[in-house]
Amino acid sequence: MSPDQPATLAAWLRTRTDEQLGGLLVARPDVARPAPSDVVGLATRLAVPVSVDRALDELDAATLQVLDAVLLSPTDGVPRDELPGLLPDVPAEVVDAAVGTLTTRALLWGDADLHAPEPVRRAVRYPAGLGRRAVDLRVPLPGDVPGTLSGLDPEERGVLERLSADRPVGHLPDSTGGALTPARRLLQAGLLARIDAVNVELPREIGLALRGDRPLGPPRLRPEPEITRRDPAVVDRQAAGAALEVIGRVTDVLTALEEEPAGLLRSGGLGVRDQKRLAKELKIGEGDVAFLVELAHAAGLLDVGGAQRDEWLPTRGYDAWREQDLPDRWAVLAEGWLTSVRLISLVGQRDVAGKAVNVLSPDTVRQTAPALRRSALAVLAEFPPGEGLTSPELVTLLRWRTPRRADRLSPVPDLLAEAGRLGIAVGGVLSTGGRGLLTGGEDAAGDGMRGLLPEPVDHVLAQPDLSLIAPGPLVAELAGTLAVVADVESSGGATVYRVSDGSIRRALDAGWSAADLHDFFTRASRTPVPQALEYLVDDVARQHGRLRVGAIECYVRSDDHGLVSQVLSDRRTANAELRRLAPGVLVSGLPADEVLSVLRTAGYAPAGESSGGTVLTRPKAPSRAAGRRPGSTAPSGPRRMAPEDVAATVREIRAGDAALAARRTEPVRQVPGVTTASTLELLSRAVREGLPIWLGYIDAQGSGSQRVVQPVSLVGGFLQGFDEGRGESRTFAVHRITSVALVESEDTPAPS
Amino acid sequence: MSDGPLIVQSDKTLLLEVDHPQSKECRAAIAPFAELERSPEHVHTYRITPLALWNARAAGHDAEQVVDALVRFSRYPVPHALLVDVADTMDRYGRLTLANHPVHGLTLTSTDKAVLEEVVRSKRVAPMLGARIDADSIVVHPSERGRLKQALLKVGWPAEDLAGYVDGQAHPIDLAQDDWHLRDYQQEAVDGFWAGGSGVVVLPCGAGKTLVGAAAMAEAKATTLILVTNTVSGRQWKRELIARTSLTEEEIGEYSGERKEIRPVTIATYQVITTRRKGEYRHLDLFDAQDWGLIVYDEVHLLPAPIFRLTADLQSRRRLGLTATLVREDGREDDVFSLIGPKRYDAPWRDIEAQGYIAPAECVEVRVSLDDEERMTYAVAEPEERYRIAATAQSKLPVIRRVLERHPEEQKLVIGAYLDQLDELGAALDAPVIQGSTTNKERERLFQAFRTGEIKTLVVSKVANFSIDLPEAAVAVQVSGTFGSRQEEAQRLGRVLRPKADGRQAHFYTVVSRDTLDSEYAAHRQRFLAEQGYAYTIVDAADLAGPGEVNGPDWVDEPAD
Repeated sequence: MSPDQPATLAAWLRTRTDEQLGGLLVARPDVARPAPSDVVGLATRLAVPVSVDRALDELDAATLQVLDAVLLSPTDGVPRDELPGLLPDVPAEVVDAAVGTLTTRALLWGDADLHAPEPVRRAVRYPAGLGRRAVDLRVPLPGDVPGTLSGLDPEERGVLERLSADRPVGHLPDSTGGALTPARRLLQAGLLARIDAVNVELPREIGLALRGDRPLGPPRLRPEPEITRRDPAVVDRQAAGAALEVIGRVTDVLTALEEEPAGLLRSGGLGVRDQKRLAKELKIGEGDVAFLVELAHAAGLLDVGGAQRDEWLPTRGYDAWREQDLPDRWAVLAEGWLTSVRLISLVGQRDVAGKAVNVLSPDTVRQTAPALRRSALAVLAEFPPGEGLTSPELVTLLRWRTPRRADRLSPVPDLLAEAGRLGIAVGGVLSTGGRGLLTGGEDAAGDGMRGLLPEPVDHVLAQPDLSLIAPGPLVAELAGTLAVVADVESSGGATVYRVSDGSIRRALDAGWSAADLHDFFTRASRTPVPQALEYLVDDVARQHGRLRVGAIECYVRSDDHGLVSQVLSDRRTANAELRRLAPGVLVSGLPADEVLSVLRTAGYAPAGESSGGTVLTRPKAPSRAAGRRPGSTAPSGPRRMAPEDVAATVREIRAGDAALAARRTEPVRQVPGVTTASTLELLSRAVREGLPIWLGYIDAQGSGSQRVVQPVSLVGGFLQGFDEGRGESRTFAVHRITSVALVESEDTPAPS
Repeated sequence: MSDGPLIVQSDKTLLLEVDHPQSKECRAAIAPFAELERSPEHVHTYRITPLALWNARAAGHDAEQVVDALVRFSRYPVPHALLVDVADTMDRYGRLTLANHPVHGLTLTSTDKAVLEEVVRSKRVAPMLGARIDADSIVVHPSERGRLKQALLKVGWPAEDLAGYVDGQAHPIDLAQDDWHLRDYQQEAVDGFWAGGSGVVVLPCGAGKTLVGAAAMAEAKATTLILVTNTVSGRQWKRELIARTSLTEEEIGEYSGERKEIRPVTIATYQVITTRRKGEYRHLDLFDAQDWGLIVYDEVHLLPAPIFRLTADLQSRRRLGLTATLVREDGREDDVFSLIGPKRYDAPWRDIEAQGYIAPAECVEVRVSLDDEERMTYAVAEPEERYRIAATAQSKLPVIRRVLERHPEEQKLVIGAYLDQLDELGAALDAPVIQGSTTNKERERLFQAFRTGEIKTLVVSKVANFSIDLPEAAVAVQVSGTFGSRQEEAQRLGRVLRPKADGRQAHFYTVVSRDTLDSEYAAHRQRFLAEQGYAYTIVDAADLAGPGEVNGPDWVDEPAD
């Protein structure tokens, strides 16, 4: 290394220009917030494993291969100009671009020589798909590797070739029979290393020997996917068809849930029974129900509600949504889907216990879902309008782009299918609306769909078979009214409603009169109202309300109708609020006792009657006010503290006080949640030497405290120790420790 | 956005706006692959079912045409998923073909190995397959031809039957078209059938299905077996065949409960073929009695299940099914498809009516208020008795009389389901009653008298539902029925739809008791008729104007347009 070369990452960072440092912060934003105090701080943060992993995850396969080349070189520091030689099949510009990407992100550093920081080495477990070195795996290699290899039988050779390709770790097959499987023979020969009960690893040296002159494996260049081409106008029309469909279906589902809400399961989510019910009611598949319900929830149109908060109900947002025009309604759904943390495709799959995941269950939450959707669609958005990728091609490309996240790509085909159902993409080609959604959010999405979706209509066609046909999406008001007076029979571009005696009765129950209904049908229908419909309304109205039901508290009856009339017209009984129900029967909304006393005061001689009709002879109870029920008032003022609470609080204060006083050395501060080496070092030293330490600690409830602790052990991220201030032995999670310092005094602070 | 006449619904129904200028063109485009479900006044409903798509495929339409028709005429964007589904479904037909191999005989072949593999592994299909010839063909025993087609349809891979037919024993048959000619649609139906080999022709009642049968026979020029629903209908066939073809009385045999004649053309009833004695079908030999070149099934929608089983064995003969509707109340449309054949011709009723071949009908529901005593009887009756009590209410009688008085000059049928009521009506109206126990001879005599106009009114039970021919019935009055069955309604309506000599309008009355089960069933009826596109009016019995009164019919009905 030439003397003018920086020796460390921090030193190299100092030599970077402001722009380059800016580029680093943009590329790895997690190290930028909160702002590091200096370059050393920055370097420290860059070394945090989580941050390194995140940065590596975003690299494509070609870039990672260049990184592998540096990691695999026997010496630290590879001269830049030697790199192309290590990757003979990779074009020079790809190597240059990769080096640029890696140095910008400080995953490699150095100007003439490229160095890989230690955390990066640790983060790449199998560079270039090669296993660890034999020494690290603690297997003795055979003396003559090439010789041993050439002496293997084809089966054994096959196993080795497989392990030397992409992943050096393999699963050991069960060997129930007596004969040794090839893998077990290789284990015995020392060509494989056992890493646990069922897995074996191929040592790096063997892998390299098998690869021969291509130690890094075949070049991992960007795959050239087969591009799907469609007429953008056709794509938009088909997307609009899907959009119309999904809007209509979501409305159907929510209308059904409005009428009969689905129960909230104790485990969260919506029960299978409700799912089946919806499927049956709407004549769609149960899978469709799952998608639509999840979509409605993602768009904020469906949530838990009800008096006991135990039902899935349409939200207030749904009412507003219904008033919006179609493109905006679509945009709400599309945006909801794009940003949802729930993976709809997980619904119905079995979990480890073999139980199917319910719709809306919390088990489908995957925090990575929005990023995955966006990254998958972003790939499609790179193509010009009318071009895109089918789902297998898209997965191939994504696998190359983010090979370290390849295990997370399994939902991509499902996501693309969902995007298809929503009209965001059609057969892998983004629609104008879908493109708008990715680039400009909800508004742009709506704009992309505008003009493609039909304008709402304000009339229906009434037919003699008692169907009403709305030849397009209806204006909200008319749709609302029709939902009362008719049942939906078929939906889609148009809606077919059927008027039946049941639906007319429902309207009458809701307070409509026959005249109102006649008037409504005449107004709403563009065709003359068929005679059959008029007859139906009149028929049902004639029958409606012939039985009446009401609630009363008590009645007054007598066989002497004259007496009953006299009571009713008596001014002194006005307080009893009596009214005539039938000849000889008066009713009142007041309790029987009150009516009895009013009648007695007025000079009548009423007798109480039991439900069976026998006369009750009960002494009149002394009158009492209703009064307030005991315990109904809420206690006012702060809750009183129990004596033990007082003691604990005082101890807390004292301990914090003492800890502050004991703090003589500079505490090691740390960002909560990130354990730096120095904290651990200090803690382990304290454990080793039995020194009391001063701790700043945040407990699980988020309240901070300061303590002096006599540490006992430090295992698995937990510090165990005796808290002298509180007089208790307890365990501290290291990641909750905010600061730590040694207590450097002869006498430990005494508990008070 | 286009402004087409068609709206495609999510549940694969199609709504066609009739008043739209493009509606005729659109109807023609979608008719091959969508079943007309309802045709009320303004918007017709079609449904795309797998069977309809396969029918279309069998008729030579491809998925592209279907998708194009949907996209071209649709007012709103069509969901992509629906189009994909349509194309997928259509693609399933014809992946498998049954054909005659010069060496191996009947073979099932496929160009798609995966499909063949799937059906070979299917439990339902596997037992019918023979030895594997190569990767994509399998020997099938000829006796399994029908059952295999049935099973393949059930597993969703309907096979195309290209194995051909035996010619049968030749027999000269010609149409005697001296004073009449086949109507255009009848000719089209025959051509469609002949080109397809076997299949079903759908024509409304009164549209001349018998003639389509006769023309098909003239095309085949071979011995023919005709299966009909009952003896009366069989005689009707015989009369027509003698009048319209070169066949003579001696060449046509009747195979029924009364007579067992086997002649070059034999007409057999479903009933006699399905008669069993000691658990065995006694008359199956009929199918082998002659080397039949053509088998005609009248009223396919009523074909009893045993005949399906027999038909499965007759797959090498040409089969013609005739019906007014493909809707079977037992839901065995798929068996008709696989055993008799796909739909070869279909003409919507309203069209044929517009051409003047069947009489336009006016449907009127007359509502009768029961008197207090009847209402009380009805209210306290057992649930299973209620309909009978409502339908046979005495209060109906004066109303029926009044309805009949409106049409003094017409031939009138009173149709009911309860024999007591019919007898009562017969006595009250002084009209003969025809019911199940009436002998065939007596029936023939009464029908003849009715035809000549000697008798103006006939009271008939449900025996009249099927296949009797009363050409001059212009008024039908329905007084009770079997719970508003759609099929019954279609049949009864068919009674008055025969073309009238002077093109007068037909009248179809239904007398119902208000606020009872009877009127509930009437609602089904009303819906069915309205869906068929008939004008349907409801009249209170009290408002039923007599002839010559305001709103009443004129003394002489004017000819319809």
